[in-house]
Amino acid sequence: MALAVTIIIAVAICFLTVLFSYRYVRKTFDSIDQVLDSVLAKNTDLPLEATADNRLSKLTHKAVKIIQMNTMDISQTRQEKEIIQSFISDMSHQMKTPLSGIAMYTDLLLEGRITEAERQEFLSRVKMGTEKLQWMMDSLVKMSRLEVGAIELSPVSTGIKQTISDSISTVYGAAAKKNISIQTAYFEDVSLLHDRKWTSEAITNILENAIKYSSANREINISLETLPIYTKISITDYGIGIAPDEWNSIFKRFYRGRNAKGVDGAGLGLYLASLIFHKQDGYILVDSKPGKYTTFSMFLQNCKK
Amino acid sequence: MPVLSTQGLKKHYGKEPHIVRALDGIDIAVEAGEFVAVVGMSGSGKSTLLHMLGGLDKPTDGKVIVDGQELAKMSDEQLTIFRRRNVGFVFQSYNLVPILSVYENIVLPIELDGNTIDRAFIDEIIDTLGLGEKRDNLPNMLSGGQRQRVAIARALATKPSILLADEPTGNLDTKTSQDVLGVLKMTSTKFHQTMMMITHNEQIAQLSDRVIHIEDGKIVREGRS
Repeated sequence: MALAVTIIIAVAICFLTVLFSYRYVRKTFDSIDQVLDSVLAKNTDLPLEATADNRLSKLTHKAVKIIQMNTMDISQTRQEKEIIQSFISDMSHQMKTPLSGIAMYTDLLLEGRITEAERQEFLSRVKMGTEKLQWMMDSLVKMSRLEVGAIELSPVSTGIKQTISDSISTVYGAAAKKNISIQTAYFEDVSLLHDRKWTSEAITNILENAIKYSSANREINISLETLPIYTKISITDYGIGIAPDEWNSIFKRFYRGRNAKGVDGAGLGLYLASLIFHKQDGYILVDSKPGKYTTFSMFLQNCKK
Repeated sequence: MPVLSTQGLKKHYGKEPHIVRALDGIDIAVEAGEFVAVVGMSGSGKSTLLHMLGGLDKPTDGKVIVDGQELAKMSDEQLTIFRRRNVGFVFQSYNLVPILSVYENIVLPIELDGNTIDRAFIDEIIDTLGLGEKRDNLPNMLSGGQRQRVAIARALATKPSILLADEPTGNLDTKTSQDVLGVLKMTSTKFHQTMMMITHNEQIAQLSDRVIHIEDGKIVREGRS
């Protein structure tokens, strides 16, 4: 008798345990199913709490993250598309000015009723226009290759001294024309993670700007300083300077500084330079006092020992 | 959908006529992957703003929405868990636990949430932030710049929806600031981390994708770089 009762109770307990386990598992699966449904519907407004201290809440939280990653990828692609669109419209606009100049002066030259002095003048303007277009084309080709990723920069551990002196020799002639001396403070050569060819190109752009916007007969200073993670290369000129509210804009494509009107340029040099540094996990900062000085600081990663 | 947004956010202290409007109608939207800098003088309301965004303080009026959820609607306990999972903080004063090693400090928020540690990810963060040799050191053996890099690593470790940095270089000299900021920018790009930084320093703000200027609790200027 007692045995029969024990058996019945045991069976009942087993049955109840199985029943409750089954219901619990079913409920959990239903909840997971709900979460997955939301993921499929890209709905971050999940039916379940993402802020409780239990397993299901953690799962919900992770589901929200997955949805976010997804939306982020989509918005990134959309952004890139917008960048390309605005780039094309910017570019066509920028090419228009020199092109229409060339067309106009060629027309005038073809008409023929002009003095010799005028002819010389028009020809030199045509030459200026073509030079500007040429320079823009060169920059555009480099830029598009970098942006599309057709050229992969290969930053390797190499001494920076040679890279800097390559850039200095490229701009030496332009500096000499304005009687500007480029002074480099003594520094020990350090190995930095960089692609020599492209980094030299970026530094050259910064130096060309320094020369362009500096007054004649002044100095340009180059210095180098090693910090814990990065090494900073600074180039200072004593020219027209850049107002603080423009610091964020000058690295934009086709942006010309307010002070830069009247100086030849297309607004591509700094953009290209900052692109090159970003591609190597480096960056550029600017500091300036209008009318006094401008310092561009370029940061490249130190090589890990 | 923005990761973080505010709608008509206000924070007033005191009562008329001596009312102080620390924040007076702020509308911000930060998209995923963006690095936004909020620049203002001391007293402009920027720190109050960051406290509201991180759910450390409640607004007088308006909404703060992170990941589609309104912070004001949560209980204190929910808010604590929400912050732990979704918000990473980097403060001026590092706020490291002095008796824990660099590594232990970094993984602390993961352990608090009872999650297993993704070792490969943590090692990558430590390596990127140049902390490899210091991982077993205690915080008091580190320089200011190194401590702040540990704080950045800790904030990144949980892969938060948004990283909030309040004057992250306020206690550092100019050179170290540039170094730490560079690494903050580099890691945020590398790990696709959405980030908002509060600073008074215009030069540091250059590293961001977008700068929002605030004065007297209002947005006065906004520009994409």
